[in-house]
Amino acid sequence: MESIQRVGAAGMLENHRVLYKCKDYRLPLCELYFCRHCLKLRSKDCVSHEVDSHYCPNCMENMPSAEAKLKKNRCANCFDCPSCKHTLSTRATSVLVPSADDPNKAVAKKAYYLACAFCRWTSRDIGLKDQSVASGGWEEQENPNAQRISELVEYYKQVAQKEKSDRERKKYAKSRIRLLGMSGKYASQSARRHASLTSMQNLRISAPDADMSLLKEEEQKLVKITPNMAVEEVEGLPEDIYTTPINLAHKGSAQASTGTVTSIAQRLSQPDEQPTLTNKLYPIHKHLLVKRSLRCKECEHNLSKPEFNPASIKFKIQLVALHYVPELRILSIPNLYHLKESVVLLSLINPLEEMTNVTLLGCEEGDPEDIDSTAKIVLPSQELILSARDDAAEYDEGDNVMDFKDDPEVVIFRKANKISFVVKVTPMKAVGDVKIAFKMKYNYKNITTPLGSKEEKETPMVVLEHHVDVNLGQVIPS
Amino acid sequence: MPLFETIGLGGEKTAVVIDIGTSYTKLGFAGECGPRAIIPSEVKRQQTGKVVRLEDYYNTNQDELFAVLVEFLHQMYFRYLLINPKDRRVLIAESVLVPTNFRDTLAKVLFRHFEVPSVMFAPSHMLTLLTLGINTALVMDVGYADTLVLPIYEGVAVLGAWQSLPLGGRAIHKRLESLLLAESTVATEGGTELPLSSIVGTVKEEILEDIKVRTCFVCSMERSRKVQDAAMAQLGLIDPSQAGQPPTPPPSVEFPLDGAKILKINGSIRESATEVLFEQDNELQSVATLILDAIIKSPIDTRKELAENLVVTGGTALLPGFLHRLMQELNSLRQSPKYSSKLAFGSFKIHTPPAQPNCVPWLGGAIFAATEALASHSFTKDIQYEGPHIPDWCSLNNKDFFTEGVVEKTPVSLPTLRKTLEAIKSSTGLGAKGGKESGKESGKGSAATTVKLETSGESTT
Repeated sequence: MESIQRVGAAGMLENHRVLYKCKDYRLPLCELYFCRHCLKLRSKDCVSHEVDSHYCPNCMENMPSAEAKLKKNRCANCFDCPSCKHTLSTRATSVLVPSADDPNKAVAKKAYYLACAFCRWTSRDIGLKDQSVASGGWEEQENPNAQRISELVEYYKQVAQKEKSDRERKKYAKSRIRLLGMSGKYASQSARRHASLTSMQNLRISAPDADMSLLKEEEQKLVKITPNMAVEEVEGLPEDIYTTPINLAHKGSAQASTGTVTSIAQRLSQPDEQPTLTNKLYPIHKHLLVKRSLRCKECEHNLSKPEFNPASIKFKIQLVALHYVPELRILSIPNLYHLKESVVLLSLINPLEEMTNVTLLGCEEGDPEDIDSTAKIVLPSQELILSARDDAAEYDEGDNVMDFKDDPEVVIFRKANKISFVVKVTPMKAVGDVKIAFKMKYNYKNITTPLGSKEEKETPMVVLEHHVDVNLGQVIPS
Repeated sequence: MPLFETIGLGGEKTAVVIDIGTSYTKLGFAGECGPRAIIPSEVKRQQTGKVVRLEDYYNTNQDELFAVLVEFLHQMYFRYLLINPKDRRVLIAESVLVPTNFRDTLAKVLFRHFEVPSVMFAPSHMLTLLTLGINTALVMDVGYADTLVLPIYEGVAVLGAWQSLPLGGRAIHKRLESLLLAESTVATEGGTELPLSSIVGTVKEEILEDIKVRTCFVCSMERSRKVQDAAMAQLGLIDPSQAGQPPTPPPSVEFPLDGAKILKINGSIRESATEVLFEQDNELQSVATLILDAIIKSPIDTRKELAENLVVTGGTALLPGFLHRLMQELNSLRQSPKYSSKLAFGSFKIHTPPAQPNCVPWLGGAIFAATEALASHSFTKDIQYEGPHIPDWCSLNNKDFFTEGVVEKTPVSLPTLRKTLEAIKSSTGLGAKGGKESGKESGKGSAATTVKLETSGESTT
C-alpha cells in the first residue's frame, strides 16, 4: 500500500519533483518555454513581458491601448464598489415624476442606480442622483488641485527648457574657444556643422545688444508662478471629536447622514481624495487587465502571444516547453533505504510529431550543474526510442505497437508515445530527500528554417541536452 | 489631452513615477495630478505563496532582494500601470536614508530585468518643494519607520542639519498594541468579556493599522498636558490638587475583530496612542524638537526663512489633528529655556501642498518627470555599470535644476552619511525590525540617530 501511496503523478500535482534547468533556475517543465529559434529552454524570468491588449474583466470588452491610456486604464461602463471592491450592478426602479402635460398628475419613470450585491452599498447612499439611462453618465470626481498642479508642471517645464538652452549656449561658447585654437580639417568640419545647427546663435553673438534684448524677452515670456503661501494657524480638531461616538459596524445607522469612518483600503482606492467618511466614497471605474505576450530576450522572437479576443483563452503563438521537450515523470517509487539499491520507475512522454531517441547520462564528478544530488544512479545504458505523438492513437483500441526490440529489463511498458523504464537508485545520505540528477539528450528536428535558405528542403536534426533534477522523497534510514 | 501631449513630445512616452515607501508604494505617471494606485509595499511570492514586505529584505543579500523586487515591479507594471517597461523612463522618489544595497539592487532590477531606458533617483525631500513652487523649506517626512527632517535652502539640501528619529506609523502601532493588551477587553459571542491579552499575545499589524486609521487622533496640547498631569497625580508624583480634573476621555469604540468577537477600545487609548510622537524621551526629543534642532543646526542667516516655510509630508501626517498639535508644540517649545536663547525669529509657518501628505513626494516626482530635465538627470544602463554603486544625487553634475543655476557644494557627502548611519544602526541593533521603539525608550536610539555629522563632513569635504 505504502508504495502505491507514494506514487506521485509528477506532472499534474507534484510538479516540483521533476525540475528542468534553465539558466540559473530549476523549474518544472510546465512552467517553461522553449524558444524554437535559440533551441533553449526559457523561464518567465528570461523572457521579456509585453502588454498585448487591454480589456475589462467585467464586460470582457477589448479596449484599444490609446483609449485605455486616455481613460487611465479604466473601463467606462463598469464600476467597483468603493466600500468592498465588489463589482457594482445597475438596478432599475421606477419613480413618480410630475407629468409634462399635467403637473398635477404623476407618471412613472424609469430610473437607474448602482448597487453592490455584496455589501448593499448603493449610489443613493452618497446622494448620487439616479440616472435616466442604464449606461450611466455618472458624474466624475475631479481633483480639486488639478489646476494648480498643471500650472506647476507648466512652470517647471519652462525652467527645464531654459536650463537646457543655457547649457547649450555655454557648450557652444566653450566649443568656439576651442575652435579658435584648433586648425586643420577637423576644425573646419566641426565649424561647418555648428554653423548649420546654430546659425541663430551666431547672429546673436555677433550682436551682443540684440542678444541681451532677446534674453530679456525670453525672461518675460516665462510664466511666473505664485509660490505657495505658508500659514501660521492650523485648524484644530473640532471639539466634538472628544464627545461624538464613532460607529464602525453600521449598526443602528446612527450616522447614516454623515457616514462612518472609512478603512485605509477604502481611502487608498481613491488616491486623490482619500476620503475619511463613507459618504465621500464614489463608485470606482473598473480597472482594466491586460493580456501579455512573451518574447525571448536573446533572439526577440515571440514565445507566447494570446488571441486578441478577451474571452478567448487560446494563443496565436505558444511555444511552451511541454510541446517540445520530452516530459519526464515519476511513475512509482519504492521505499528507499539508505545505501540500498532500489528500483524506481520513471516514464518519458514524447510531445513531438517525430520519433525521437532519448539518452540519459549521469552527471560526471564535479559537474557544476549538479548541485545537490544525494544518490547513486544506474541509468539505462541504451538509447530509449520514443515513438511520435499521434493524437488519434488515444482512441485507437488496436494493438499496432511496432516492435522496438526493447530490453524488458529496462523498458517496462510502452504505449503510443509513452514509455516507462527502470532506474536503479542507491541513496547515499542517511537523512533528507533522495535527489538524483542527470542529463537528457534527445533528437530534435529543427523546423524553423533560417531566412534566405529556401532551397534547402531537408530539415536538420539536432541533438539537444537538458539537465534534469528529480526529487524522490524521503529516505528511510536503514 | 494626454494623447496630444505624447504626440507633441515626438513619441516619447510619459515616464513612470514610483515612490517606494516602507509601508505603501505610490505609483503613477509623470504630469498627472495623483498616483494611479497606492499599494502596500509587499508582494506575494510565487514560490512560497507567502506575502512578504519589501522592508524585510532591505539588508538581505542582493539575490533575494532582486527576486522580491522583480515580482513586486512585475505586479506594478502589469497589474496597475499596464504598460511595457521598455518604453518608459523611470523616476524613483527615494528617502535620503534608503540603504545603498536597496537602491543598487533596484537599479539592477530595472535595467537588467525590465530593460528600462533610464532611471532617476530623486530625493523625496527635494521633490516636495516642486509641489509648492518654492526653493526654501524645512521638510519633515513622517513616514512609517521614521521621521526625517531635512532643511533645503535655495534648492540646496543642508545635509549637515538633518534630524531623524524612529517615530512614525510603526511606533504608534507598537504603542497601540501595548495599550490594547494592557487595557482592552473582548466581548465574545456568549456575552462574556475577557481581557484581550488572554486571547492573543500580539495583535496583527493590519488590525492595529485599521484601529489607528479609523479611531485614533492627535489631541490638542492643552488636553494632552491635562491627561499627563492627572496620570502623574495618580502615581503620586505631583500634588493631586495641582493637577486638576482630567478631561473626560472620548467615547470608547466597539471594533469588530471577526464575526464573533468585538474588541472594546477604551476612549483614552484613542488619544494616547499617538502621544508617542510628541512625548519627549530621555534625550528630550520628539517629533517637534527635530524641527527645532534642524533649524539650530542650519546656518544662522537661513533660520528665519526655514521656520517660515515648514512642509510636512508622509502618511502619518494624515492623522487628524497632527499638524495642529505640531504647531502648538513648536510654539510652546521655543519658549522653553533650551531653545528660547537660540531661536530669535518671528513665527512658524506651514505650507499646505496641493495633495494629500502621503502623495506629496510622488507629486513632486510627477512634476519633475514631466519636464525635459528628466532625461539629463537620469542614469542610463551604461552609466550604471561604470562603478560598483550608483552615484548619489548630490554627486550628480546637473544639480542646477533645483537651484536654477546656483551650484553649491553640499557639506556632507551622502554615502558617508549613509554609511555612518548604517554602522550605528547595526551596532545598536536598531536596524532590526521592532528594535526601534525599545531603542528609543532606553534612550540609545535617539542618541544614535541624531549623531553629530560634522565629523564625517570634515573628512569628506
